[in-house]
Amino acid sequence: MLEVTLIYGFINSIILSLVALGFSLTFGISGVSNFAYGAMYILAGYAVWIFINKLSMPFFLAVILAVVLTAGLGLALYRFVLLRVRGLVISEVIATFGVGLAILELFRYLGFTTFEYTLPVFTDGSIEIGNTYIDHQRLWIVGVGIALAVGLYLFTHHTKLGLAFRAIAQDEKTALSLGINSDRIAGISVAFGSGLAAVAAVLILPRGTISVNEGYDVLINAMAVCIIGGLGSTVGVVVASFLIGYAQMLTDAFSGPHWKMIVSLVAILIILVVKPSGLFGKQKELEERI
Amino acid sequence: MLEVSNLMVFYENALALNDFSMKVEQGNIIAIIGSNSAGKTTLMNTLSGLILDTKIKEQRKGGERITLYGTIRFESEDITNVQPYDRVKRGMVLCRERHPIFPESDLVENLKIAGYLQKSSEVSAGVDYVFRLFPTLVRLKSRKAGFLSGGEQQMLTIGMALMVKPKMLLLDEPLLGLSPLMQNTLVDAIKKIRAETGLTIVITEQFARPILPMIDHGYIIENGMLTMEGSGIELMDNPEVKAAYFGV
Repeated sequence: MLEVTLIYGFINSIILSLVALGFSLTFGISGVSNFAYGAMYILAGYAVWIFINKLSMPFFLAVILAVVLTAGLGLALYRFVLLRVRGLVISEVIATFGVGLAILELFRYLGFTTFEYTLPVFTDGSIEIGNTYIDHQRLWIVGVGIALAVGLYLFTHHTKLGLAFRAIAQDEKTALSLGINSDRIAGISVAFGSGLAAVAAVLILPRGTISVNEGYDVLINAMAVCIIGGLGSTVGVVVASFLIGYAQMLTDAFSGPHWKMIVSLVAILIILVVKPSGLFGKQKELEERI
Repeated sequence: MLEVSNLMVFYENALALNDFSMKVEQGNIIAIIGSNSAGKTTLMNTLSGLILDTKIKEQRKGGERITLYGTIRFESEDITNVQPYDRVKRGMVLCRERHPIFPESDLVENLKIAGYLQKSSEVSAGVDYVFRLFPTLVRLKSRKAGFLSGGEQQMLTIGMALMVKPKMLLLDEPLLGLSPLMQNTLVDAIKKIRAETGLTIVITEQFARPILPMIDHGYIIENGMLTMEGSGIELMDNPEVKAAYFGV
């Protein structure tokens, strides 16, 4: 029992961080809102399903195409919606959330709600650790999840583009006066974040059927992880994922699965009262210290 | 190298710069001296193009209406409507007032971000140059820039601008809020930059005393209007300047 909880808690945590990475890249690291994130995630799932089942594409081509498509959609979202309200945070949030709502509810309207919408796993089979069986898909999730978290940290600290992402979040005018085209960088950031949402979707969705409602859960979970970890910190994303991931698993095991969903919401509440900048938050740390 | 003619800037109906013209020759140090609200920062933001960004942002939120008239020519090309990041590519870099840095990144990372337009090999050479120019910064390498003192941040801002390898450096009130000792350090550094790189420098400042001795040409502005111009020595000998800025 405990062993199962520990192992599946670990996998659950990696899933959470995988879900949160793209959101963290756009909202946390570059300071651009993309609250259509959950919709992008679900859209990528349906896109893969359509590519495979309606256009009979090979699986990996469908995956790559879906990631590119979602990233492109992110860029379009920036170019046609966000750019017009850029700099007005509340408007950014409302506009992107509205777009997300429209996308998700469009899928519901079109009838994408039945159980036939499932994605194939990468490889079939399972391994045994102790007395616990873990299927290959979850191993893929763990592997890719860890690789992406490390990759994202290195990207934002050691590449020009990654540094520019962090620059526009900290001081846009200074970035502009150093030759960084902040509008372009912000657009790329939204595209990258959406692409990461698609990567998370094709890894995670094969565990069950794709449902429209999961789009909202994904957004809430991603937001919870980013707020608790602290905006702009990749280490924070990972630590917060493990906190919430294990908290969810323990709640599931000891109080029943219907309590699981409120864990992330309660966690947001507590962290906003106790340490508003998040565990590893940098955004407000300086002001709090002074 | 830089030619500003008949520049006028309105915030709503308030006139921030009134028919301002100036010329900057290659390799010169030029100063624009004026008291608070004389239009110094507006001038710098207009020269660097940042005002175009502010204008759009204000328009989006339905804020202040900013209107520009006049022309700015840089290396005999009209850059009046060129975006700020493109002006940087053309070789014109601004250090904004109150030493804005990236507070959450450490000092070296700030310099790396500033090297955005350079090749990686040039970035490390640039960092070395900044450390040679400001040896005090070396031991603060891995400190978060937000925790540096005002003077250290000002050195860093100038260092970041130099990372871009500009042809023309615009300094907006580099001495603001610094101790006289730190002011002298910075003035020495500016002289050194000019001597070593032959960079063209435009400074706005309200502390005339440390600035006037090193400039080739100076402009005095009041309420957005040019009231006087001349060489550094001419300005220092002028009784009105003496009364207003030296307290004699």
